[in-house]
Amino acid sequence: MSTLNKKELIIGVAMLGASIVYMVMAYRLPGHEGVDAATVPVLLAGLLSLLGVMQLFSAFGNKAQAAAETPSQLPDDSAEVAAPEIIEPKTVLKTLGLILGYMALLGPVGFPIMTAVYLYLQFIVLTPLNHKVRHPTYALIAVISSAVIYLLFREAFDLMLPPGLLNFL
Amino acid sequence: MLELLQQGFGAVFSLNILLLMAIGVAMGIVFGAVPGLSATMAVALCLPLTFTMGPQAGLSLLVALFIGATSGGLISAILLKIPGTPSSIATVFDGGPLMEQGQGVKALGVGIVFSFLGTIFSIAALMFIAPQLAKVALSFGPHEYFAIAVFSLTLIATLSAGSMVKGLFAGALGIAVSTIGIAPVEAVRRFTFGISELNGGFSMLTVMIGMFAVAEIIKLAETGRHAVQGKARSVSMKNIKGFGFSLKEFREQLPNAGRSGLIGLGIGILPGIGAGTSNLVSYIIAKKRAKDSDSYGKGNIGGVVASETANNAGIGGAMMPLMTLGIPGDTVTAIMLGGFLIHGIQPGPLLFVSQGPLVYTIFAALIVATVMMLFMEFYGLRLFIKLLDVPKHILLPIILVLCVVGAFGLSSRLFDVWSILLFGLLGYAFVKAGTPAAPFIIGFILGPMAETNLRRGLMLSDNNFMDFLTTPIAGTFLGLALAFVLWQVFSALRPKPSAINEILRT
Repeated sequence: MSTLNKKELIIGVAMLGASIVYMVMAYRLPGHEGVDAATVPVLLAGLLSLLGVMQLFSAFGNKAQAAAETPSQLPDDSAEVAAPEIIEPKTVLKTLGLILGYMALLGPVGFPIMTAVYLYLQFIVLTPLNHKVRHPTYALIAVISSAVIYLLFREAFDLMLPPGLLNFL
Repeated sequence: MLELLQQGFGAVFSLNILLLMAIGVAMGIVFGAVPGLSATMAVALCLPLTFTMGPQAGLSLLVALFIGATSGGLISAILLKIPGTPSSIATVFDGGPLMEQGQGVKALGVGIVFSFLGTIFSIAALMFIAPQLAKVALSFGPHEYFAIAVFSLTLIATLSAGSMVKGLFAGALGIAVSTIGIAPVEAVRRFTFGISELNGGFSMLTVMIGMFAVAEIIKLAETGRHAVQGKARSVSMKNIKGFGFSLKEFREQLPNAGRSGLIGLGIGILPGIGAGTSNLVSYIIAKKRAKDSDSYGKGNIGGVVASETANNAGIGGAMMPLMTLGIPGDTVTAIMLGGFLIHGIQPGPLLFVSQGPLVYTIFAALIVATVMMLFMEFYGLRLFIKLLDVPKHILLPIILVLCVVGAFGLSSRLFDVWSILLFGLLGYAFVKAGTPAAPFIIGFILGPMAETNLRRGLMLSDNNFMDFLTTPIAGTFLGLALAFVLWQVFSALRPKPSAINEILRT
């Protein structure tokens, strides 16, 4: 089975899964007599499930078709994914981890400190392989950006970002 | 009308607003020019800045960003041969070769001038058509609004890139997410799981910042470390008179520009498709109609003219359903809708009655921003070229911080910050699944409108759905929506290589 069909199949399963979760929740809503607040969610859940099933069927259909054809003739969609790109799941996970940590500590530690730390680390994580990591420059950009954004919003746009540990400023 | 327009210009011509608009146009051009940043992102990130401004200043800034970003895409299309936004894909076809032949300035000049003309043309059309459309729309009731919402959603879901099933699913999922919170009509809490922050549902802005900006940053993390960032070559502006092309060349391109403008406007009005499609369509038609069609793709300024006139003519087109019906045609106008609502203005036919002066201030702002774009983009070109070289790994993290600030600024709660991460992940999943994000956004926005009007319509007709089909306008729109789905199914069963697909594939 080609990876493409496997991918389409997984997408179909995910679509159907989300639809079923939504349907269960929709049926738990109070009401269900005539037209009420539950009507539209229930109808939507039906439509979502139908589309999920259609996606699954089309994935299976393609699979059968792909098996019948010679390997060189991939299904239509292959044009989209043809571009060979090196994908780094590790960088994605690191980035997500950084964003998660940034948001979690934004309240307790505060915007100015967390932004500077996040930017510095995120610059390092995203630095292209053919670039050198320049720690002093990164640190400088991170601190300046953080300070400028914090002060700009506080002074010019009346938006008090969480000060956290720097509450005394 | 002239009097109102005069008032509008009066409001815009204050130092404060002009300065804001100049900044807006410049920022917009940068967002349009840098591949990976988009007009949607520019407007979403700057929306929080307008909270403390009055509606006139705030909306003028948003309009300036919109115009700058739509036009800015041509800079990278010509200099880097990478379209800055999908709306300038066709600009690359001839702009790129022109640059290689040493005629980069000419290509840029032509692109910018015809962007200007396309925008002005579409604003004129907007000013004449929108008030008439608003008059018609005044008589619309819940049946019509429901039908138009369904029609718009179907159109956007079926016409977005990728498969129809995925597009429709994205749209329906958007509506599903919009059902979170207190229900219309009987105010029952739905899907809030006891979280009080969810009572009001997710904010439109957090959904959009997440889907478009945060998802973009996660996407960069995937490939960014291996991607080679194109280095923009500078162009010499020495000995350049005017905009770098002759009057004869200008005159020769006028028929092409007129046709492309009409195509751009027409496609721009339709919900779901806009500048991303119209630039390709008008390019294809221009190539077919040209006497020297062989030279297209090898550096004919006609290609740049067709693409740039059409994509900018979409601006006025996209504003039409937004201002007259309150229905956004694409993601940028969806955020503009958010901007209107934040300033306490409900777009729709009543806008023209109750907020006449403000409507004409927006028209005036559109015109002023377009003129600013013309001069700033051409004469400030060298500066924008420098900005193209700012490394992505520095730029995007800073944009993420601005996203966080924007989300927090909505109502000073960290809940909104978490929401953008949630929708960022969803947006990333959409990218991975080859599912378009635009139907989701439009579904999310039109969902409550469709549901409320469905419920109201059913109440008016004693729960008889047939009234939706027998009311002429509502019935027509619902019929068209159905016809569209059937047509898409039909053409999917009989795959024919369409011209646009051919071009996209090469």
